[in-house]
Amino acid sequence: MKQTPGEQQLEIRFRPGQITKSGFMGDDTRHIHDIIEADGKVLERFGLKKADIADRLTLFMDEGKKELEGKVDLGEYVVQVHWARGLMPCPFGEPGLHPKVVVHVFSKASRQEIRYSQLSVHMIRKHGFWGGKGSVFRLEPIDVIRLLKMGGNGE
Amino acid sequence: MISNILLTVALLCGINGLLALFLIIAERFFLNYGPCTITVNESKTVRVPGGSSLLSTLNNEKIFLPSACGGRGTCGTCKCRITQGAGPLLPTEMPLLTQKEIADQIRLACQVKVKRDLSIRIPEALFSIKEFKAQVTLIKDLTYDIKLIRFKILGDDEILFKPGQYVQLQSVSYDDVKESVSRAYSIASSSDEKKSIDLMIRLVPEGICTTWVHQYLSEGDEVRFTGPMGDFCLCEGTGEIIMVAGGSGMAPIVSFLRYLIQTKSKRKVTYFFGAVTKKDLFYLDEMKRFEKEMVDFTFIPALSQPEPDDQWDGETGLITVPMKKYIQQIDTETCQAYLCGSPGMIKACVQILNENGVTSDRIFYDPFA
Ligand SMILES: Cc1cc2nc3c(=O)[nH]c(=O)nc-3n(C[C@H](O)[C@H](O)[C@H](O)COP(=O)(O)OP(=O)(O)OC[C@H]3O[C@@H](n4cnc5c(N)ncnc54)[C@H](O)[C@@H]3O)c2cc1C
Ligand code: FES
Ligand SMILES: [Zn+2]
Repeated sequence: MKQTPGEQQLEIRFRPGQITKSGFMGDDTRHIHDIIEADGKVLERFGLKKADIADRLTLFMDEGKKELEGKVDLGEYVVQVHWARGLMPCPFGEPGLHPKVVVHVFSKASRQEIRYSQLSVHMIRKHGFWGGKGSVFRLEPIDVIRLLKMGGNGE
Repeated sequence: MISNILLTVALLCGINGLLALFLIIAERFFLNYGPCTITVNESKTVRVPGGSSLLSTLNNEKIFLPSACGGRGTCGTCKCRITQGAGPLLPTEMPLLTQKEIADQIRLACQVKVKRDLSIRIPEALFSIKEFKAQVTLIKDLTYDIKLIRFKILGDDEILFKPGQYVQLQSVSYDDVKESVSRAYSIASSSDEKKSIDLMIRLVPEGICTTWVHQYLSEGDEVRFTGPMGDFCLCEGTGEIIMVAGGSGMAPIVSFLRYLIQTKSKRKVTYFFGAVTKKDLFYLDEMKRFEKEMVDFTFIPALSQPEPDDQWDGETGLITVPMKKYIQQIDTETCQAYLCGSPGMIKACVQILNENGVTSDRIFYDPFA
């Protein structure tokens, strides 16, 4: 099916070198909306909403920001934030700019780490988009839910 | 039945898509708007080919409006007043304009197309922004993730900037990145030097421009940048100066210090530099030299999480800790503060400075950073 010009623009903004170096799709050939739908279903299984995840990721980011680049020990987790100057747009194209902030959350118990940017949190909250499979900032919903010990038993 | 419906929907979508494609092609190739005249600030006129955005048309005329989203209509930094010829407001502009701006004829230069004669108003300062062609003459590691890059300006051009200002460096295509992007970098060199500039560029993980600088740029390469830009400059005054920076925020501060040395300033300056461990510290020898060359300059580095191997006996904790301790002991009535670092660092510093009598009109930093 042919794309509308709006959809073409959307698809262009997700490509490498447009807004971010490697783009947002990785090697995922699915349509953006199909990716969103599939990831949304994982959340549903756990009885979670996009905002629940985005709130938790924001909480870690805010704690990390307080230490200005140093590691913050939050007991179960260690958080570290890197904050470059400058702002960047969202590939979905609505007005507004987002700080260039990268967050690392390390779980002491599972010894697993997730990495996300402030833009990733916005995209999860507003658009339900976690990145295409294989993209550098892709967050796998199931991994995030497990690492952050959220939701009921949806497994 | 269902397959018929699906077929009709697919057919309609196909026709819609083709029509849209036809309109785009027609606009590009058949709609010739001819030459148009743009009158700038009622004093300067330029004759330009119609059909492109006002932002890119002005760029071609060497008039550089700010742009933080590369003309994608999402940042609002390209706002300018168009008093004649802009045509109706576009849906893509509406979300970024207030009612007052709309009443004042403010438009987004990246969205408005030049289709007829236009009259626009822009700040006079934008006329001093030029595009420079330069050659990389030095790339030096300052830390594991910050490089100093020296650019020699080619041709007869000279750059006239105020310490604290920045340039927009244009990357070139590399790897999967097919288009050029521009990013702001503060000038670290002396404003006396007009044929070359130094930048301090920190690698940002997965950053378009910094990956190019750190992994693809070599000595001898030719690049382009535009500038100078920005209002983060040293202000008149006689009181003490407090400077606070972290990471590549060192760059404009070094330019300030060089200016204070050149002008033989007698002002007392205390510079707090925050880093996590010793490997994030740099320019220590230069700071020692500045301490000798300036009348009253003290450099205070602080490590927030020194490693045991660092054998650090200096200040520890966030940079706000020694800064707070210090300003609580001095008379802050005439003192000015200059900050450069992450917005988080700036926010924390402003709060402490305000609480200790340094009013916001005496605290300076780059607002877009
Ligand atoms: C006035 C001013 C002066 C400045 N001066 C300096 C200076 O002197 N030195 C200096 O080093 N910097 C300076 N900067 C910052 C500089 O302009 C750039 O913003 C910075 O270098 C990063 O640019 P980049 O192109 O490498 O990163 P970009 O590509 O623009 O952005 C990288 C960000 O995108 C995120 N990202 C990447 N891919 C994805 C994805 N798939 N999903 C979600 N998020 C993703 C990353 O996490 C990272 O946060 C200054 C900025 C301003 C505004
Ligand atoms: S350049 Fe960003 S909105 Fe125009
Ligand atoms: Zn968005």
